[in-house]
Amino acid sequence: MSPAKIDLITLEVIRNALASTADEMALIVMRSAYSPVVRDIMDYSTALCDAQGRVIAQGLTLPIQLCSFPRIMGFVRERFGTSLNKGDVLIANDPYGSGGQHLPDVYILKPIFVDDRLAGFAATVAHHTDLGGIVPGSVAIYATEIQQEGLRLPLLKLYEEGKPVDPIFRIIEANTRSPVEVLGDIRAQIAACNVAEEGLSALVRRYGAETLDRYIDALHDHAEAIMRDVIRALPNGVYHATDYIDGLGENPEPLAIAVTLTVADDTIDIDFTGTAGQVEASINCPISLPESAAFCAIRCLSQQDIPNCEGYLRPITVRAPEGCLVNPRYPAACGARGVVGYRVFDAIMQAMAQVIPERAIGGSEGGPYLLAGGGTCEGRPFVLNEMVVGTWGARAGKDGIEGISNPAANLSNQPVEMVEADMPVEVLRYGFVPDSGGPGEFRGGLAFIREFRFLADARFTLRGDRRDHPPYGFAGGRGGAPSAHLLIRVDGGSQPLPTMPMESFDARRGDVFRLTGAGGGGYGAPLARECWRVAEDVREGKVSIDGALRDYGVVFQDDGATVDAAATARARGDRVGSGA
Amino acid sequence: MAQPSYRIGIDIGGTFTDVVVARDDGLVETRKVPSTPDDYSRGIALALKALVAEFGTTPDRITGIVHATTVATNAILEHKGARTGLLTTEGFRDVLEMRRLRIPVLYDLQYDKPKPLAARHLRLEVSERLGPDGSVRIPLREADVVAAASQFRKARVEAVAISFLHAYANPEHELMAERILRAELGDDVYICRGSAILPEIREYERTSTVVVNAYIGPVVRNYAAALTARLASIGVDCPVEMMHSGGGIMRLGSAVKRAASLVESGPAAGVIACARLVSGGNVPSVISFDMGGTTAKAALIENGEPARTTEYEVGAGINLSSKLVKGGGYPIKMPFIDVSEIGAGGGSIVAIDRMNQVSVGPQSAGAYPGPVCYGLGGRQATLTDAFLTLGYINDVALAGGTFPLQADAGRAALHDQVARPLGLDITECARGVLTLAVTTMTRAVKAVSTYRGRDPRQATLVAFGGNGPVVATEVARALGIRRVVVPRAAGVFSALGLLRSDVEQEFVRPSRCRPDALDDAGFARLYADLAHDARTILAAEGYDLAPAEFRYAADLRYVGQAYELTVPARQLVLAELVELFHQEHERTYGHRSHKDQVHLVNARLTVRLPVVMPQQRFAAAAPHKRVDRRVCFAGTDHARPVAVISRGDLDATPRQGPFIVEEYDCTCVVGPGQAARLDEIGNIDITLEAA
Repeated sequence: MSPAKIDLITLEVIRNALASTADEMALIVMRSAYSPVVRDIMDYSTALCDAQGRVIAQGLTLPIQLCSFPRIMGFVRERFGTSLNKGDVLIANDPYGSGGQHLPDVYILKPIFVDDRLAGFAATVAHHTDLGGIVPGSVAIYATEIQQEGLRLPLLKLYEEGKPVDPIFRIIEANTRSPVEVLGDIRAQIAACNVAEEGLSALVRRYGAETLDRYIDALHDHAEAIMRDVIRALPNGVYHATDYIDGLGENPEPLAIAVTLTVADDTIDIDFTGTAGQVEASINCPISLPESAAFCAIRCLSQQDIPNCEGYLRPITVRAPEGCLVNPRYPAACGARGVVGYRVFDAIMQAMAQVIPERAIGGSEGGPYLLAGGGTCEGRPFVLNEMVVGTWGARAGKDGIEGISNPAANLSNQPVEMVEADMPVEVLRYGFVPDSGGPGEFRGGLAFIREFRFLADARFTLRGDRRDHPPYGFAGGRGGAPSAHLLIRVDGGSQPLPTMPMESFDARRGDVFRLTGAGGGGYGAPLARECWRVAEDVREGKVSIDGALRDYGVVFQDDGATVDAAATARARGDRVGSGA
Repeated sequence: MAQPSYRIGIDIGGTFTDVVVARDDGLVETRKVPSTPDDYSRGIALALKALVAEFGTTPDRITGIVHATTVATNAILEHKGARTGLLTTEGFRDVLEMRRLRIPVLYDLQYDKPKPLAARHLRLEVSERLGPDGSVRIPLREADVVAAASQFRKARVEAVAISFLHAYANPEHELMAERILRAELGDDVYICRGSAILPEIREYERTSTVVVNAYIGPVVRNYAAALTARLASIGVDCPVEMMHSGGGIMRLGSAVKRAASLVESGPAAGVIACARLVSGGNVPSVISFDMGGTTAKAALIENGEPARTTEYEVGAGINLSSKLVKGGGYPIKMPFIDVSEIGAGGGSIVAIDRMNQVSVGPQSAGAYPGPVCYGLGGRQATLTDAFLTLGYINDVALAGGTFPLQADAGRAALHDQVARPLGLDITECARGVLTLAVTTMTRAVKAVSTYRGRDPRQATLVAFGGNGPVVATEVARALGIRRVVVPRAAGVFSALGLLRSDVEQEFVRPSRCRPDALDDAGFARLYADLAHDARTILAAEGYDLAPAEFRYAADLRYVGQAYELTVPARQLVLAELVELFHQEHERTYGHRSHKDQVHLVNARLTVRLPVVMPQQRFAAAAPHKRVDRRVCFAGTDHARPVAVISRGDLDATPRQGPFIVEEYDCTCVVGPGQAARLDEIGNIDITLEAA
């Protein structure tokens, strides 16, 4: 065997070994983290990078975060060049000049040296409970510049040659409302990096540095080849879509997220020209995330088993004008920027659904709905951080799914019992909303509802979306039901709250906040939905008898269970005739 | 002289039922008989009848039967469980279907979520509410339960799970609901409740566990009734015990009540057999490695104790790192021996995709049609076909010559489907396929060792199952493990483990104490209450508790963490327990914190009633003809002649590899640079040279 030959089986062996290390990192974070956001909701990601900082494996974590590592690794190269040493650990969260996304997402990176030679990097990012700023949780939509949002950490050495840089720890401790959780989660991230160090070192020892490098290059090339092959199979052309964010405050102006995808032979260019300009609020989305969301969407649409390494990004370019919502200028606030990332994913899906509807998905709930709040209860401060997800749109040939993480994320939910044991909050309801799935030949997933009663006075902030612009249907399918925020006062009266309120609210003990997500978008003409599917939905209480008639033209007999075939044929015929 | 008596271990698999008979003087015989999937109890009765005749004894001399079965697991995999209802707290009927939301794969928009085991229209809500401290916030509205019972009756449900919010802290509402349902629905409907099955916090995991239990409860109940009747019909009336996933055995009646605890009983038995094998010797760390036709399984045994977990998902398919890949199956939170399982077995299909990416498994040809070389209609190349190409297994026949092979067909499939498209010669290809399978299998071993902060290089690998000893030394080499042991009866080792298992049951109580409110007295009281519960329950099952060992443990975490670590509570001294927790946390995650408070989440008690077994000797195996063959080992690209011997050809003096030990129930490959000897109890003890 000549030394330069790449043996495909060895390539697969190395790919597996790298992937198992990235998964092990993710497991270590989950098990040893402190905050509910990380340990229960699992808002964190892990990856392994090669010596050049290119991602070579991803843990089974959040797609929309995972694709953000390339950018920060670019800054690492730029900032530290060859000045990294064994035992160093890097930290950063700053979106401006350090590759961060928003301040709560703290990156912990560790260069891995084997015999004094840089072998690669361990990379982790986790959403931290609180890094200061004007509200508990550090996500205030009404922030107007990043300085209001909390502690900024440019790329710094948190450890130098194995020794903690104590002042940084002390600054962090002094700037968070939840020092135990934040420092505990940082320790969990470092533990994961140490595991990666062992895993990658073992591979270097087994194969030798040169051989491993050669195989890693081959892995990148291989991923690139697959992606080019996927793109080549698409018709050349320019595909455009615009989706909207509801907008800010009481009388929101919609904010456009415009994408233009240009497929040219084996490349895709994604251009955000036409997107709304940056705003005086914290939903500005540093390019790291839109880029990540774009990569993630293309990756989902490829429907191929591609190695999770950076090579597959080579045929994809992303461009965004400076100063727009997806590429804001310093010092735009960006705490609540996540929603824009999810909308980028949605817009790309809609553009590509024009060419490959069979691989696309209808609009999902819109990304996580945030409820962050805090106060004091029996003399102890508390910080509640809820990130609620739950619904997929329909696929060609398959209904959407209810009770699942957004496809671009992989978040979990906090057990009601844990929330109630830890916080002065009671959860009154957690379930599905009937008739909320976008009607279609294949129905969108149902919306979720989660209702909280405050057992202590609290101040809270919200971020939702998809009330004025519900999740899209496609190929003739209709959109899902809109979302809603409702505050029900203990002394009577209720008040709908904006999806993105530009203020925080004071809840009194006994007040109830009802959070209803949006339903998933449908696929295909609702009147083409097979009757047995509608009957099953009615039996399961997912579609009401009225909804069956209204949305699907399906009529039931008096027993409420058997489809009246003749009446259904008439009802459907009338609508087709009237063009409804 | 009295007639000898017999204890019998029976492990039912999809194709074969493994039977191990232990005579009271220690003589052990093993049998493999065909399973009878239409009614597994029929196969058991046939086998027992034949054994009674063969041994010239009478049915009453069978004094104990210990049993592992896949009936519970199959009911879930085949969606053939009971029509199941769920009674739950108002506002929360969708908790079961909502699950924990996570998706077990990345970037897959075609993903399908597992269907809930209780359909939405059979999930009924009642007005009631408890607080996290167990206090009643809304009393149970009994009329709601009566109304639900009427709906369940109308829908002809066969089983009902009851799971209310915070019932772990106070079972009263669930108990009331159970009484009403029992009165309304009668004795035929299987009823179980969360506060009995899993009195622990986290509503989804508890509800899922109790629903799984309800879903398979009637299946297990029917099976137990059929088995009891079959045994009675052939005159066997000894107690029947079942293996549970936690590695102990329990009476058939308990198994019916805790049906969900049966799902991993077979694999657990294999691990127990390993633990007993080494518990006398000075082997601090053992990794069991069990490879069959579809999967490879690994477990960690430290100081004779298998590592345990309470996180398991049944029906999740085969996961590479199951702890992370949550959401693919149905969680059961009960004591399990921590067995990691991955889709690499003898029947694993070797495939290449459009982009020339090679995979081995997790798709499997199983036992039927099986590998191409079985000649039973399998068309796709499998790992077994690669074994055969390399000379690792006999290419004429298996099972001591009784199962003929079509070697050329197997080689041709591997050549045409894999080697040629990749531009490899067939030997190179078979080597590569084996290496890839070994990489996958090492993930199973890593999941129970490095993932938990344990270094596998310090461990001894004990290999069993039909294919375990074929690849064990390669798996060991890949992980830097220096010692491999292949026990007697390796091919039916799980059945042997059944006979070596103790009666064991675990009891749990949530501490429900604020971390700063627990003192030594309260701590002791918590465990005293737990021990009282355990004695009452076990005595009611008819066990004599005189020889019982009581082992205490505790689940602890730092305040703020969500996952507990379980540490033994030997002295029942709080401060000592906390220190043990700090140590275990550091060992597992690499750090400890003295600043943070430690929270005692659950108190645990394991009661063990040791089963006394005489020193075992194995009956002589039927002779079969062995022929030396050419084998291609790692690091070479050509085959070399290798001796094929029997276990009896080895002795206490190490014999240098390469050679192959061929037995009725499995094949053991000893490679170049390795040496093997027979230890005093007949195990093949292989030493690998340093890597």
